[in-house]
Amino acid sequence: MSEVTCNGCGHSFPIRSLFDLNGSTYCEPCAIRASGESGRGASYSPLINRSICGRCNSFIGDSPGVVQIGNLRFCAACAPLVKDWDYPQWLKLSLAVLLLLLVASLAHGRKYFQAGREMYIGEHLVSHGDYAKALPHLQETLRIAPASDKAALLAAKAALLTGDVASASKALEGHNDGRFEDADKPEFKEVNGLWIRATGALEKAAQAAKFEDQDGKETEAAQLMHEAALAYPEMPALAFAAESFEEGVAFVRHDYDTFLAIAEKQWKAQSMPQTAAAVASALACKYAMTGDLAYRQRSEEMLEKARQLANGNAEALKNLDEFAERNRFRLESRQIIGREEYNRRFRSEKTSK
Amino acid sequence: MFFIPGPVIAALTFPGVIIHEAGHLFFCRLFKLQVFDVCFFRFGNPAGYVIHQEIHDFRAQFFVSMGPFFANTLLCAIFCTTAFLPVWELKVFDPLAYFFYWLGLSIGMHAFPSTTDLSHLWAQAPGLAKKGNVLAIVSLPVAALLVVLNYGRVIWADLGYGLAVGVFAPIAIFRTLAIIGI
Repeated sequence: MSEVTCNGCGHSFPIRSLFDLNGSTYCEPCAIRASGESGRGASYSPLINRSICGRCNSFIGDSPGVVQIGNLRFCAACAPLVKDWDYPQWLKLSLAVLLLLLVASLAHGRKYFQAGREMYIGEHLVSHGDYAKALPHLQETLRIAPASDKAALLAAKAALLTGDVASASKALEGHNDGRFEDADKPEFKEVNGLWIRATGALEKAAQAAKFEDQDGKETEAAQLMHEAALAYPEMPALAFAAESFEEGVAFVRHDYDTFLAIAEKQWKAQSMPQTAAAVASALACKYAMTGDLAYRQRSEEMLEKARQLANGNAEALKNLDEFAERNRFRLESRQIIGREEYNRRFRSEKTSK
Repeated sequence: MFFIPGPVIAALTFPGVIIHEAGHLFFCRLFKLQVFDVCFFRFGNPAGYVIHQEIHDFRAQFFVSMGPFFANTLLCAIFCTTAFLPVWELKVFDPLAYFFYWLGLSIGMHAFPSTTDLSHLWAQAPGLAKKGNVLAIVSLPVAALLVVLNYGRVIWADLGYGLAVGVFAPIAIFRTLAIIGI
């Protein structure tokens, strides 16, 4: 058994009982002491380990090419690896592919980022009660992703709370034909509640409009329209229509001052062919009652204004033509009759001829 | 709770394993540590490993142990963010988006450092934290949490972590961007 001298105490020991510390050989007590004196990080290892490769455990003895790295010795094959373990080629390629995928995913996600951004802005605005501003953002999201439950419900909510039932209907119908994943979701229930309330109000409004066209049902029509406006106050058009239906009630009661007051108020609020025509109608009634030519003149002026406003709108012009004929009769005959009566007297005759 | 063998999970989420080990190797090279062996992926337990020299420097220990955790988390957040909107919010069936989401989740699932990595960190951190080492102070709660989560792997804590990063990170990013008006 070969023996080696300890660099610490100078005694000789068998190789297998000795240790290596920073290239010096020590017996165990000297190795412990020297390690403590060397400070942090100094560790000793069995001297016999110097004969085997620290990585592959092959016997290296004193063969050439052996490399000492730190406390360990390595064979010629392992030493370069341990010194500088390189990334394998496939890994470098994979990382390059990963980077490309990262860029691709960002590029691919751009349209979704836009849709998502619009949705989050819309959601933020909805949560702050700014429904009118939120709606265009949410509609933009639905343009890219019509199947999004969240965007459809938010858009419908924003639309319904601004009185825009048509946009709400488009958002909901465009979403899987109105089907949603979870009907128990509070968001769905909320929109469903709003939808039922809004469509119920619109049904009443439609019924009111039918009554409005019939002589003698003006009061019923106004009452129904008021109910609709009350049920769905988010739609100001209903309240406006309810007020305009009060003109019919005043007409039936021969209260032409009230008729004129309401018509003028509506005309001031919204200058449209219909409101102008209503003022013309009320003024014609006043002329028929008083014979004051000023009323007649103003009535004709308002009818002209109505025509100007309706210019280019075929439907409005058609309605105005129908009204103008009756208004002319009222001004010339100073007789106040409703549409049905006028139709019965003059138009059915024309038709039969 | 259903049981799926580890190698099956590792195979289904192999990109995460490779990136985790590549992260270890990157930091070993950065701190000029001796590396004895590297396995980027295998059907076994562990699914990958990097065997390196004993580390005495805490900074090196911290980055070698925790580096892959941060790298995997970051990559998970990025990939999942790009695919989050079509997959979760917009409900658009886009196979490419689902692929990116799988990639992100796979990477996020393998973010946790191994118990061996954490034990090395855990052994050094308390003493250094007492001496005011900032990195040690920071690493203590993180390491403690990760030790707990590591044990939670049996109840899919790693998948839960991936999902949490892949869902909450994009939500936080998009909402913040929307609110600040970008």
